[in-house]
Amino acid sequence: MRTLLLCVLTLVHISLTAQTTVSGRVLDHNETPIMGVNIYLSGTYDGTATNEAGIFSFNTNVTGMQTLIASSISYETFSKTADVTTFTNITIKLRDDVNTLDAVTVNAGTFKAGDNAKVTALKPLDIVTTAGALGDFVGALQTLPGTSNVAEDGRLFVRGGDAEETQIFVDGMRVFTPYSPSANNIPARGRLSPFLFKGITFSTGGYSAEYGQALSSVLLLNSINEPQEEKTEISLMTVGVGLGNTQKWKKSALSINTNYINLAPYQHLYPDNNEWHKPVESFGGEAVYRYRFQNEGLLKVYGAYSASNFELTQADINEVNGVRFGLKNNNLYINSSYQDFLEKEWSFSSGVSFANDQTDITLNSSNITDIENSAHLKIALQKYFSSRYKLNFGAEYFITDFKENYRDNTVNTSYTFNNNLLASFVETDVFFSKRLATKIGLRAEYSSLLQEFNLSPRVSLAYKSGENAQFSLAYGEFFQNPKNGYLIYNADFTAEKTSHYIANYQYVKNKQIFRAEAYYKDYGNLVKYNTEFALPSSIFNNNGNGFAKGLDLFWRDNKTIKNTEYWMSYSFLDTERNYQNYPNTATPNFASKHNASLVVKRWVEKWKSQIGFSYNFASGRTYTDPNKGGFLLEKAKSFNSLNVNYAYLIDQQKILYLSVSNVLGTKNINGYQYTDQPNTNGIFERRTITPAADRFFFVGFFWTISKNKNDNQLDNL
Amino acid sequence: MRTLLVISAFVLTLQLTAQTPYETGMNNAFALWQDQKNTEAVQLFERIAAAESDNWLPPYYAGLIEIVSSFGLKDEALLTTKLTRAKTFLDAASEISENNPEILISYALLNTAYIAFDGAKYGMTLSAENAAIYDKAQKIAPNNPRVVLSKAEWDMGSARFFGKSIAPFCADIERAIGLFQEEEQTIKYYPYSGLDRAKEISANCKKETSPE
Repeated sequence: MRTLLLCVLTLVHISLTAQTTVSGRVLDHNETPIMGVNIYLSGTYDGTATNEAGIFSFNTNVTGMQTLIASSISYETFSKTADVTTFTNITIKLRDDVNTLDAVTVNAGTFKAGDNAKVTALKPLDIVTTAGALGDFVGALQTLPGTSNVAEDGRLFVRGGDAEETQIFVDGMRVFTPYSPSANNIPARGRLSPFLFKGITFSTGGYSAEYGQALSSVLLLNSINEPQEEKTEISLMTVGVGLGNTQKWKKSALSINTNYINLAPYQHLYPDNNEWHKPVESFGGEAVYRYRFQNEGLLKVYGAYSASNFELTQADINEVNGVRFGLKNNNLYINSSYQDFLEKEWSFSSGVSFANDQTDITLNSSNITDIENSAHLKIALQKYFSSRYKLNFGAEYFITDFKENYRDNTVNTSYTFNNNLLASFVETDVFFSKRLATKIGLRAEYSSLLQEFNLSPRVSLAYKSGENAQFSLAYGEFFQNPKNGYLIYNADFTAEKTSHYIANYQYVKNKQIFRAEAYYKDYGNLVKYNTEFALPSSIFNNNGNGFAKGLDLFWRDNKTIKNTEYWMSYSFLDTERNYQNYPNTATPNFASKHNASLVVKRWVEKWKSQIGFSYNFASGRTYTDPNKGGFLLEKAKSFNSLNVNYAYLIDQQKILYLSVSNVLGTKNINGYQYTDQPNTNGIFERRTITPAADRFFFVGFFWTISKNKNDNQLDNL
Repeated sequence: MRTLLVISAFVLTLQLTAQTPYETGMNNAFALWQDQKNTEAVQLFERIAAAESDNWLPPYYAGLIEIVSSFGLKDEALLTTKLTRAKTFLDAASEISENNPEILISYALLNTAYIAFDGAKYGMTLSAENAAIYDKAQKIAPNNPRVVLSKAEWDMGSARFFGKSIAPFCADIERAIGLFQEEEQTIKYYPYSGLDRAKEISANCKKETSPE
């Protein structure tokens, strides 16, 4: 009896501890063994790690259906559910995790800023601390290759395209009037304040099918989802004052920024070469409201209003008393977007943006009033099949209602047009492996005004050739309706178009980035007219064409010199076009063959200061000399500007900021104006158009009041 | 009598082999961590986490080790991979235990690892985030010594940066030491540690702030 009991008990004991051996090998896609992979049966304590040969073996007491997990850093986690006895001598192949920093990125044509980007050409702070940028986000982007310096305009000119060929989007929604209007020969400034955005994507070509109506470039800005804390910000500047406040609640947050700019005191101290009757005065306010729903859905509403006015007389060689120009502008912009995550890895985004812009211009004795009402509606769905395969598709609708009224002593006429544009897009991102990825998209657009349907394919491909290097290619077709200024007089157009061909090489290693990109752009269907300016009486056609080709180089180094960051850009551009009223094909006067910039920033710990400078160079742009004949055959002298800035952290919450543009006072030339008629010697006299002032000074004091004493407005500068 | 002995011996051994694999696992994991075998320790915590789906401690420790071992790394790709992994562990932990001050301050530590790697790139956004995390942790657990300690350390860092006195934060450190000593240690494997570090900082404080 006793013996029996002992036997039974022992048997029970053995059966209780009866073990199965789980064993096998773990390999990567090249059949190379992976060491240190965590292998275990989910829900048990049984597991081990693979050895140098990728081999594992462990014992388990569990029986029946079990889930075997293999997980390792930089690989996708593997899992398999089966009877535990089948897990012997199995071979597991792990797939590379394509979301890691060292995976290939489809990036031809694109620069990213912000800390979410894998490769960051510009950091968030750079947008606002680049010398010469003067707090305008466009200024910092102009230090990237692919842009042309057009000092008297201030807007973005990308790869031989004019400023209207770039479109700006906030949270995926179009910004219809991104720049504040300015007088001739005075650079325009972006309306959007840079500190409302956390991520910026600047594409100089070959961009996604989600975006259209831009021949050259798109600039995508993402607003901040949730502000970190409540605070009040006060700015005192040589050009005006600003006040901001952020409030936070459990589910929502509201930020308001207001500013008042008046250049009268500055222009009194440093007169420029214009005669100001009413120096620039503007009042603006921006508000962002965010609400997070229970289900993680996020609603953002951004609203901005600005009113500005100025009046001045500018020299003109054909008018003895100069040209008197006055402008009043009221602009309202509302952008709301909603984003939500649905079941089964679907996500949903939608938005509405609306702009109302009224400009009253007085030009000598004539008055022009432009009223533009525009809206953009969009809905998109994303499906995340896996980290290797994503699909994005949607539809959008643009409404433009434009009205112009012209009146002088004899005439009073109005012109108007309505254009509604329907577009849809579908795009997929595919990672074949950690080294090879592609993005393929198609966009379709129908314009009611032009009664035209266009299809634009977009393809890009990236291949990682080594640990630090990758190659990318991109191709795309891009359409854009003719400018509002032409559509008011004529609707018998077809959309202007370009094709982009881009090849990119990128090398990234340890805080150093090198990037080279070659491109070719082919323009077609550009608008032409037969008068000096586009007029109601002009005869229009779509027979214009052109090309742009070039090479963009970029180098950024945050490593070699301690506490110092610098980047260098060089762009070579060869472009010609025949459009507008050009008698023949020529290089347009906004394109310079060579553009270069150098930006350096140094943090001096001892002084609690950041010292920065930037140097911009652009080779001379073309102009027409009627004395020599021909069209746009002459070249003005090159543009040079050295800018410095200095930010001093008085304490955690107070900053003093100084900035001087063109500190050396280089006499730059924006172009020449010739007389309409030759003088008695048969010579057309000319006037040199120079910047309104050689230098620009800016001094500001910024004070943040918040509970968290570490916060300051350095990020706003 | 002998039968009884055999049975009890059997039951005892059965218990020894079957008893709380959780404890065995946790002890082994801590031993591995102690021996600087970080990868193995993380892996074991990961396995325990998979088995103990309602216990926040195993994923918390898995995340914490990944964070601590990423300080001083030079390779950004590896750093972000490790920290992304650490974040998934912390996310798993906070799903089990919401608004847990220990997990919250680990998120702040994770951000600090990024800031330490590249202040210019990550400092601006993440330091504001950290301030918000410490704010929240302080509201939830004003007397948690680790919250008091790590917030004081964070504040000291920025005070030093701006050349300000660290004295007010030294007072916080002293307060943390008091709280550490009062703390009742009732939960097994709970991250009670920190007293030694607080004392070390306190000693530095006395050196730095004492008149020479």
